[in-house]
Amino acid sequence: MTLYLLPVILLGTMVCALIKRVNVYDCFLDGARDSLSLAKSIFPYLAVIFVCIELFRASGLSALATEWLSRPLGYLGIPSEITELVILVPLSGNGAIAALEDIISTYGADSYVARCAATVAGASETVFYVSAVYFSKCKVKRLRYAIPVSLFASFCGMVIACALCRVM
Amino acid sequence: MNVAFTALTLVSLVLMTVTAPADALPAMIRGVSDAVLLLLKLTAIYAVWIAVLKMAERSGMSRALSRALRPVTRRLFKGESEKSYDLISVNLASNMLGMGGAGTPAAIDAMASMMREEGKATDNMLMLLIVNATSIQIIPATVISLRAAAGSANAASIFLPTLISTACATGIGMILARLCASAGKVVRKKKRESK
Repeated sequence: MTLYLLPVILLGTMVCALIKRVNVYDCFLDGARDSLSLAKSIFPYLAVIFVCIELFRASGLSALATEWLSRPLGYLGIPSEITELVILVPLSGNGAIAALEDIISTYGADSYVARCAATVAGASETVFYVSAVYFSKCKVKRLRYAIPVSLFASFCGMVIACALCRVM
Repeated sequence: MNVAFTALTLVSLVLMTVTAPADALPAMIRGVSDAVLLLLKLTAIYAVWIAVLKMAERSGMSRALSRALRPVTRRLFKGESEKSYDLISVNLASNMLGMGGAGTPAAIDAMASMMREEGKATDNMLMLLIVNATSIQIIPATVISLRAAAGSANAASIFLPTLISTACATGIGMILARLCASAGKVVRKKKRESK
């Protein structure tokens, strides 16, 4: 089902454009042109956030944070095996997927821990990355309450996810 | 963003100086190389998606979608221009369908079109960010395919818990964003009165 979703959407858009006599060739030229300038404007934000993630991991700070946080998170019903994933999720999409793969291969895809991990990973977004990239065109630096609110809300989502995995 | 970045980098660097001084600089450079690699991949993804978005925009599909989502968008983002509503609708719809490649360029343009003052984020802009950062996604395609690859008996069984928990996260995010926005307004009003 989901396999056909994307091609159908792409085809639908193109057919619709042809009916309305839109120049499809020009659209592709413009798309490629705009993507380069978009890449140019998001690069500084990407670079900064990736330096931060790499240092966080290489310095062993992420391992320390995992150790400290696993107990308090355990009280909220988040299994200690997925603490690392919970910390990585707001920082890095690739990191979170790698951690999820790790958990699935260690505990088996249908174990409670792996289902929790999959739900947490599927239900969340890289908060810091989104915050940096979305404002790349308007150069906003102060995001006021946005990051604490997003982090807290997605954390609530994770707690709910782990609770749901227990019953569903 | 500034505070989070500086604090995290500082603590990491202090720790590295103690534990692994030789790896500090290579780690930073490795970070930027990762960014360059991802950027190349993103440029390709955005080239295709922006082209599709242009087709949707010029054929009037975006406008139709925007009309359909108007009851929701108007309530969440008060007093924005027609163009902003179109971009927001495209962003929300593509993220729900798991097409992040289309959602991000639309969101970046939407942010730019909602800007009132250079370098300042309005409450509506922050609302759009929070809705996206708490991720409404109907089909978590990557996760399901990972589970299937690992031999899960029912890879899609996480679908419902995922949907419920993201919906809760987004809901909580929206409510908190509203509360913070109105609290901010009260504070600013008081400041003006005291002057």
